[in-house]
Amino acid sequence: MRIGVFVCQCGTNIAGTVATDKVAEAALSMRDVLHAETLQYTCSDPGQRAIIDAVQKKGLTRVVIAACSPRMHETTFRRTIGQAGMNAYMMEMVNIREHCSWIHSDIDIATDKAIDLVQKGVARVRRQVPLYSTTVPVTRRVLVIGGGVAGIQAALDIADSGLPVTLVERGPTIGGNMARLDKTFPTLDCSSCILTPRMVEAKQHENIRLMVNAEIEQVRGYIGNFEVDVRKKATCVIEDKCTGCMICQEKCPGKAPDEFNAGVGQSKAISIPFPQAVPMVAALRKEYCRQFINGKCGVCKKVCPADAVDYEQVDEITTEMFGAVVVATGYELYDWREAYPDYGGGQYPDVVTSLQYERMLSASGPTAGHVQRPSDGAEPKQVVFVSCVGSRDESVGRPLCCSVGCMYIAKQAILTKEHIPDSQSYVFYIDIRATGKGYEEFTRRAQKEFGAIYLRGRVGKIYPSNGQLVVMGTDTLSGGPVEIEADLVVLATGFSAARGAGELARKLNISYDQYEFLSESHPKLRPVETTTGGIFLAGACQAPKDIPDSVAQASAAAAKVIGLLSRGEIETSPMVAAVDQLRCIGCFKCRDVCPYNAIEALELRDGRQVAKVIDTLCQGCGVCNVACPPSVVSLKGYTDNQLIAETMELLR
Amino acid sequence: MAICVSSTVADGAAVVAEIERRSGERVSACYQCGRCTSTCTGSFAFDYPPHRIMRLLQLGQVDEVLNSRTAQLCFDCMTCSTRCPMNIDVANVIEHAKMIADELGIEGDEKDIRLFRLAFLQNVRRHGRLHEARLLTWINLRSFKPFNDLELVPLILRKKKIHIVPPRIRNRRLIHRIFREVNGGDES
Repeated sequence: MRIGVFVCQCGTNIAGTVATDKVAEAALSMRDVLHAETLQYTCSDPGQRAIIDAVQKKGLTRVVIAACSPRMHETTFRRTIGQAGMNAYMMEMVNIREHCSWIHSDIDIATDKAIDLVQKGVARVRRQVPLYSTTVPVTRRVLVIGGGVAGIQAALDIADSGLPVTLVERGPTIGGNMARLDKTFPTLDCSSCILTPRMVEAKQHENIRLMVNAEIEQVRGYIGNFEVDVRKKATCVIEDKCTGCMICQEKCPGKAPDEFNAGVGQSKAISIPFPQAVPMVAALRKEYCRQFINGKCGVCKKVCPADAVDYEQVDEITTEMFGAVVVATGYELYDWREAYPDYGGGQYPDVVTSLQYERMLSASGPTAGHVQRPSDGAEPKQVVFVSCVGSRDESVGRPLCCSVGCMYIAKQAILTKEHIPDSQSYVFYIDIRATGKGYEEFTRRAQKEFGAIYLRGRVGKIYPSNGQLVVMGTDTLSGGPVEIEADLVVLATGFSAARGAGELARKLNISYDQYEFLSESHPKLRPVETTTGGIFLAGACQAPKDIPDSVAQASAAAAKVIGLLSRGEIETSPMVAAVDQLRCIGCFKCRDVCPYNAIEALELRDGRQVAKVIDTLCQGCGVCNVACPPSVVSLKGYTDNQLIAETMELLR
Repeated sequence: MAICVSSTVADGAAVVAEIERRSGERVSACYQCGRCTSTCTGSFAFDYPPHRIMRLLQLGQVDEVLNSRTAQLCFDCMTCSTRCPMNIDVANVIEHAKMIADELGIEGDEKDIRLFRLAFLQNVRRHGRLHEARLLTWINLRSFKPFNDLELVPLILRKKKIHIVPPRIRNRRLIHRIFREVNGGDES
């Protein structure tokens, strides 16, 4: 065994506190070490060349590099010794910078510690064996979950690259929340005018298959090869036959809440959510249908000219393979009613949410764009907007900022003035957060050009009085309480994760936070990746986001997917768990604790059940090593032998 | 009222820290949304609405707070505390400011109200429950209006609304303990 030790000075970062030449000298007396030298910057070109030279001239078989954290340069040096003709894993990095020179000031003590650390590294590398990564072929198909603007964008970008995409949407149409908006800030362009072309494009794209009324049932497999069960819910309408003529909706006697219009107005038990729905196919909701409640009606079946209604339809589960998954499940509005009894808790009809108001402003909404008070249908003249309902409020357990409320209030205040020129808008705000391009100018415009009066304070209470609503608020800038008699109050409700986001995350084995927003792998440098390889995030499912940010993230996720699948196969890390099958007792504690479902049962020829690690799924976390009662699971590169040898060196 | 932050923060820091210690609240948690003021039932009579009391404490402007009418007049309806989005017990903060003002002997503008409050607390502390006859006498003497409302005395005595003999309660020590704990462990 021929070991070489390279001690990095890192300029003065290490050499300032550690006498590197002494460390190199001490290393020479360690077992099997026949080469040791100091280098000024080991990661630099000359530094790397010095390693290659030493390896080749002295025939080194193992290398210890005492330098910075392996998080910084482990891959650099693996490549270096790979170039020198060695197995890339026959190398050990010893951290004498972050763990030694940076945190000590006494040179003698730091040098002694550095020598101890090098000793430990030598002990470990002596027990290292060559490791080889394997490659697995990938399925060149992509699953996008959620058909909002982020999902559509990701699907289109991926499909344009030539990869087949399946876009799964839970509701009866794609378009998501953006399809429900009237205008978008800060440009005030019509939301559906810019979205519907994208929706249609997604439907017409040769590489995109739409699956509406469908949910993810189960996910198995790993990066490059996910096996996904999709449940297609029975809607009692045969999708291929329905022409979208809407006669069934017209004739249906079963009233149902209008989910698309956020509860403003009413819909039917069989309906198409809105005129530009994609696909333009009716769906029946059994819980409101007379045929299913009373057992008799059948009107839609009778009137349907295409014979598309089928009451016998049942849920179908299809299983498909995908190489990568983009999660774009979006958001829903926070349900404010229980948390805010002071604002009426939903009992006053003229206190509406921002999304309900959006539908009232929309020309395709239930009031055809005429703003009406829900209580008496009158045109409101005094409209009060209340910011941060269910946002920035620790007392209801939601300290997060919804990030778009300030902007959509400004938009709605402007639209209010446009719809009702003699109206007056009041906006209660805590801070105006307008950080995007053109956003600050937009909120100023709402005040300067459209006369919205901004009051800095949180509303305390709303109560009805003489057919109006009294809003008790504050203007902290003028110093005291204010009361406004309002005809209509619009609550800028915050964002919640979409219903069931946590459940989906558990199926996908990705992490999520306390609000069920899905977690990215690194908040700065891996913002679209999840902790599970091959699954990416797009849009407001990760955190509250506006449209441009959602679209940008969707395109970023698409780029990641295309990059991943363009190679055709994936190289896996060799530092994964391995089971000694001869000694495995088949208790499967490892399988129970594995957070990545990376362990399966294998039947040996003698009928014994033993654990087997799926290399491509294993992330090398080591939990199974700890759980294994006979200690027969070990992590390659971190075997018990190596760890014990390291510890013994330190204890000596 | 000139605000000179640089000098006052240092001066008032000790008092603010004491208010925080006794009340167990963090004034720095307040982000000035103004919801306390939006529903304050007494702010019509206050010189500083509750959110400004919190702000003054954040800036260490203790003199303004301790001398304020707000500190004397706040009647602890607790609406502000109930509605605070940051879960700050605002009324509790004001209450402790009030108590520290008392300890420092700051009388403020609402002398009668302060007198009544002190008399009330002393009375309850002494007897364990209110002894109206002594309370009224004490207030009349201390406010130098000995004959105030004297014409009502025969009537309320006849109707047995108040008693000459002080009331007795079983465990007066417990009352003392309550007072001690509210005062933040200080025996005062």
